[in-house]
Amino acid sequence: MTEEEVNQFEKTQSQLNGLHIEIGLLSKKNPNDAVNKFKLKFINKTIEESNELLGEEYKPYQEFEKFEEEDMPTTSDVTMMLEQYLNCLEKLRSDNLEYGTGSYYWVIDGEISDIKTANPFKFKR
Amino acid sequence: MYKTLGFKWLIQAFCPASTFVLADRYEARNPQRFIHATVAKHTNKQQHNYMSIIRPRFNDFYNIPLTQEEVDFAIPFLDEDIPLYLDPFLLWKSPSMQDNSLHLSITNSFNYLGFLAKKGNEKEAIEILIRASECNEVGFGNSKTKVGKRIGNNLAKSVTDLFSSIPQISKSGFIHFEEIQLLVDNFSKDRVSDIACNFIQSFLVDYTIEQCEKYNIPIEKTVLENLYDQKSFKFTTEETFLPINPLTKTPILLVPKRWLRFIPWINVDDYFKSFYLKNIQDKGEAFPNRIKLLSFNRANYDLIKTYTEIKEMQFENCKNDPLFNQIPVISAKRKISTISRLPTGKTDNADLKYEDNTCQLMASLVYPHLDFAKEQSRTESGMQIRDLIFYNNRSTDFLQEIYDTYNCKQIVMELKNVKEVKQEHILQLNRYLKDQFGSFGIIVTRKPPPKKVIRNIIDLWSAQRKCILVLDDTDLKMMTQVFESKQRYPIEVIKKKYIEFTRACPS
Repeated sequence: MTEEEVNQFEKTQSQLNGLHIEIGLLSKKNPNDAVNKFKLKFINKTIEESNELLGEEYKPYQEFEKFEEEDMPTTSDVTMMLEQYLNCLEKLRSDNLEYGTGSYYWVIDGEISDIKTANPFKFKR
Repeated sequence: MYKTLGFKWLIQAFCPASTFVLADRYEARNPQRFIHATVAKHTNKQQHNYMSIIRPRFNDFYNIPLTQEEVDFAIPFLDEDIPLYLDPFLLWKSPSMQDNSLHLSITNSFNYLGFLAKKGNEKEAIEILIRASECNEVGFGNSKTKVGKRIGNNLAKSVTDLFSSIPQISKSGFIHFEEIQLLVDNFSKDRVSDIACNFIQSFLVDYTIEQCEKYNIPIEKTVLENLYDQKSFKFTTEETFLPINPLTKTPILLVPKRWLRFIPWINVDDYFKSFYLKNIQDKGEAFPNRIKLLSFNRANYDLIKTYTEIKEMQFENCKNDPLFNQIPVISAKRKISTISRLPTGKTDNADLKYEDNTCQLMASLVYPHLDFAKEQSRTESGMQIRDLIFYNNRSTDFLQEIYDTYNCKQIVMELKNVKEVKQEHILQLNRYLKDQFGSFGIIVTRKPPPKKVIRNIIDLWSAQRKCILVLDDTDLKMMTQVFESKQRYPIEVIKKKYIEFTRACPS
C-alpha cells in the first residue's frame, strides 16, 4: 500500500464503521424497512471507495458492486453488507502491518513505516 | 352592511366577477390565441379509446396525466358526479380575501331574492331561485347521469317566503344561506352547493380557463345558458370557452377542491344531534318529526342564529374533504396484520376479508401516485369482476414506463387469496389485458408464485410482450413498512418487482 492509500483506508474504514453503527441501529428496530435514497447515495459512495481499496482480491463478493436504488435494500441487507466490507477492510489492514517498537505500524511500499495502527483484529495470513 | 338585504352597489363595489379577471373580460373569456394551439395539438388525440376507461375523468379523454393531489380543482368524472359539494362556509372561513368576497357575493345574490320578494316581485325571485337550484356544469352530487333537476315552484316559494315570515331574515337577510336546510323541508345539501356555484359561476368560468391554460386542457367555444350576471342580478346567456364533456357535449366548470365537503358544515343532522338534543329537547319528551322540527326552527329563528354562531366559533374544525382519504398508518398496520393472519381459500369468508382489507390498504399505499378508480368492476359482459383499478397518472418514471411500453392507461390488480398462484390465475388476468389496461397487470396474492408460474409469466412476455407482476404478503408488508417509516414510497416496491421482472426476461 502507498501512504495515500493508507490515508484513504483510514478515512473509508471510519466512515463505514459510522454507517454500520447507524444503519445497524435502524436494522435492530425495523430490519425490513427500506433505506431511503439519501442514505443509500452516501452508503454507495463509501462502498465504491472501499471497492477501490480492496480490489478484486479482498472484495467480499465479486458480483456485488453497490446497492441498486430500485432494489430497495432493507436496513438488514445494508447492515449485513457493511459488516462484510468492514471484515474485508480489516483483513486488508492485517495483511499490511508489522509489529514495531511496542506497537503495530503500517507497511508502506514494502517497508515498515512510522504510521501507527491498531492491533490486528483477527485476520492474519 | 354585510347583513343588509340586497344592496346592489355593495356587490358591485366588492365582488364583480371582473375583479378576479386580470385581462379585459372579453379577452379573458375568449382566449383564442392559446385555444388554437391547444385544440390543434389535441384534436387527433381526443379520438383515442377513452370509452373503455373505467370511471373516466375528463383529463383521461384528453390524455393529460393529472393526479388529484397535484391539481387545485376536483377532477370531474365524465359519466357521473363528484360525490362532494361546495360548502359556502369554507369560503366564509377561508383566510383568502377572494374567497370571502365570493361568499359575500353569494350571500348578497341570495338576499337579493328577498329584496325582490319584499318589493312584490316574488315571481321573479322564484324564477331566479329555480334557475339557480341546479348547476350541471360543476357536476357535484350522487347522480349517475350527470343531469340534475331544478327545484319546483312550491319549494322555491317556501324559500322566498322565509324573507317575509321570519322577522330577523326579513330585516337583515342571511349570512349563511345554508341555514335554509334547517328551515325548509327538502332543501338539501346539493341545493346549497348548486345555488352557491351558480351565483359565483362567472368566477368559476375564469378559474376554469386559468386551470385549463395551466394544464394544457383544450377548451372549446360554448354557450352557457344559465350564467348569473352579478351586475343585473339576472341569469343570462354567455358565449365563452370551456372544456367540454365529450359524452354529453356540455361545458365543464372546475371548482377549487378547498371549497368542497361531503356535507355542509351547517347541516340538519349536526344541528339536531349537537344542538337541538343537547339544548332544546326535554328529557322524556318525544322526538319531533322533521316537519315539526322545521316549523319549530322557523318560529324560533334565534335558536338557529345561536347554532350558526357556535358553528362560526368552531370554524377552525371545518376542513375541506379530499376526494380520497388515505387510511392512517395505524389502520394500515392493523390491516396488514389481519391479512397475514387470514387463512388462504374461502374458509370463514377469508377470501372476502382478504379482498376487503387489501383493497383499502392498497388504495392508500399507492396514493397519491395512483388515483383509485374503482373496486370490483365488472367486465362488459358482466361475467367477470376485476378487483382493483387505478388511473395511471404517469406520475413517476416507473408509471411512465409502463404507460409507454405496455400502453397501460389504467392499472388492474387481481386479488387472489389462494395457497398458490396457478396458471389459470395468470390466464384470467391475461384476459383483461387489453384496451385501457394495455399489457400490464398485477396479481396480489399470499405467497410468491412457484417456479413454473414464474416461467409461464416470462413466457407470456416473450410471446405477447405482456407484463404480469405478482405481489405477495411480503411485498405488502414492505409497502406498509415504508408507508409508516416514510423512507421510500410504497409504489417503489411495485417498481422493484417490475425491475426484477425485467431482469428475469430474456434479453
